[in-house]
Amino acid sequence: MTGEEIRPSHLHWWWFAGALATLGAAVLVASLLGAVHLDASSVVASLVDRLPFVGIDSGLTVREEAILWDLRMPRIVLGGIVGATLAVAGGAYQGSFRNPLADPYLLGVAAGAGLGATIAIVYGPAIQSAPFGPLPLLAFFGGIGGVAATYAIGYSVRAGRTAVTLILAGVAVAAFLTAVQTYLQQRNAETLREVYGWILGRLSTVGWTEVWMVLPYAVVATVVILAGARRLDVLSVGDDEAVTLGVDPTRVRLVVVLAATLGTAAVVAVSGLIGFVGIIVPHTIRIVFGTSYRIVLPLSVVLGAAFLILADLLARTISAPAEIPIGVVTAFFGAPFFAVVLRSSRGLGS
Amino acid sequence: MTRALSLAAVGVRFNDSTILDSVDLAVEKGEWVGLIGPNGAGKTTLLRAITGAVAFDGSVVISGTTLSAMKRRELARSVALVPQHPVLPPGMRVVDYVLLGRTPHLGEVTGPSRHDLDVVAAVLAALSLSGFADREVTTLSGGELQRVVIARALAQESPILLLDEPTTALDIGKQQTVLELVDSLRRERDLTVLSAMHDLTIAGQFPDRLVMLSGGVVVAEGRGKDVLDPELIRTHFGAGVRIFDDGFGGIVVVPVRSQDDINASNPRPTT
Repeated sequence: MTGEEIRPSHLHWWWFAGALATLGAAVLVASLLGAVHLDASSVVASLVDRLPFVGIDSGLTVREEAILWDLRMPRIVLGGIVGATLAVAGGAYQGSFRNPLADPYLLGVAAGAGLGATIAIVYGPAIQSAPFGPLPLLAFFGGIGGVAATYAIGYSVRAGRTAVTLILAGVAVAAFLTAVQTYLQQRNAETLREVYGWILGRLSTVGWTEVWMVLPYAVVATVVILAGARRLDVLSVGDDEAVTLGVDPTRVRLVVVLAATLGTAAVVAVSGLIGFVGIIVPHTIRIVFGTSYRIVLPLSVVLGAAFLILADLLARTISAPAEIPIGVVTAFFGAPFFAVVLRSSRGLGS
Repeated sequence: MTRALSLAAVGVRFNDSTILDSVDLAVEKGEWVGLIGPNGAGKTTLLRAITGAVAFDGSVVISGTTLSAMKRRELARSVALVPQHPVLPPGMRVVDYVLLGRTPHLGEVTGPSRHDLDVVAAVLAALSLSGFADREVTTLSGGELQRVVIARALAQESPILLLDEPTTALDIGKQQTVLELVDSLRRERDLTVLSAMHDLTIAGQFPDRLVMLSGGVVVAEGRGKDVLDPELIRTHFGAGVRIFDDGFGGIVVVPVRSQDDINASNPRPTT
């Protein structure tokens, strides 16, 4: 008997290559479109020119180069990082809590991070310029506090606990944290605009600073989550059975949830509240490619990036020259999608 | 025979209530021991303690090594459990589910090796499941599912196999098929089997030895004919039974209503 007859699920390289190609196409389209039209071949040449040891004359003027590299690319790259992190964190929460509805925004993470960020904006000095300033830190601890409260309340329910219980706990926690945040915001009206703009989610006021600020957190979070993919597959048979297979479910959950919360809090700190990415992207991948976290998580990184870059493209072009907050775009697509997931996951225990 | 499993003074408490109290149990290598007892007697908890899933007092020694000194992965390579109510991940295929049994053998980073895949393929073939490899676990029938869960446990290649009421959900034919399978695998692979069992007649047919738990303590232990005693069963299960020898070395336990109960529910006409 040989193993040739069995085909365990795994991430085929051509799936990953296809996802990368999608991401590449999203980057290219997003860098072409905008108030100023840029020539496609020139943009490609300019992109290639930035590779090490390559020198090509792109044919772009200095002004066009500036538009591409100082305005559009930072925003595209930041959108990619934010989308990748939110998508992979969503998948990580779903695996950790064995709950198809789990999402950074439904577990109180975002609301907690939002409260932390508001405290930083209201009481903190000159936060935006400091790479390791109080905003990411407070957003991070706020996020941890939010998910801890949701988890504690959701799992204190003994009878009739289902996948939805945890989400309802998240709703209660988020409502409370949002109330506190709104109170702080109203008491300090001079920062209202800044806080409000942050809550709606935006990638619009960025240069490369934010990219460098968020990148280390996003990379660490993503690497830790991806390293846990196999163990998340084991957790899918429940804690008791995971123990009999030699896995410590509490430790896996702790590490993965901490990493997902670190990543979420960091991207929320720079981009504000952009919802539903962590639901839409992993679930679409599950439906198309399979449910193993060794497939879902790596593809979520790449396709999450592509998804948010395209969502941001919509946000800044659909009613140009005005911009729609990107959180509005993702919610517009995400909320109906969530309803579909809810229908199809009916009866799942947690 | 050498000792595969030995429990000394094992106790488990949850929130001040005692689930298991000072249980002593020894299982020899290659032996099949059946755990019987009424609902809530502590059978499942005893099995969970041996897998390291619940904290306990006392000592559990597995093939000469104390459980508390073993790493989780090492323990999982020594003891495999077939749970009573397995959790079925939506969308997971049989082959991936059985491959989960290789988890304690896999490296921290590396995926399954050729050997791991060979083990899974061999187990699927041995349990006549090769044709089911690509089916989703949530679409299987009760009998198919039970074989798949046993396949996952066998893929662990652990010398000790724990079964928690493995046939409760099955019809009488499937029950026999699954238990005959366990028995033949035990002989082929020299497995030690400890199984919690619900049906006393089945318990009287398959295991070499029975242990009766009640209220968290061992109340009887020995050959089937010694443990399956009408008085013991009346005391601990509250059931009236008659015991028959099946003529082939097995024991048949038949529930019978007491004459008093029959009289109470069918009063004789007084006219």
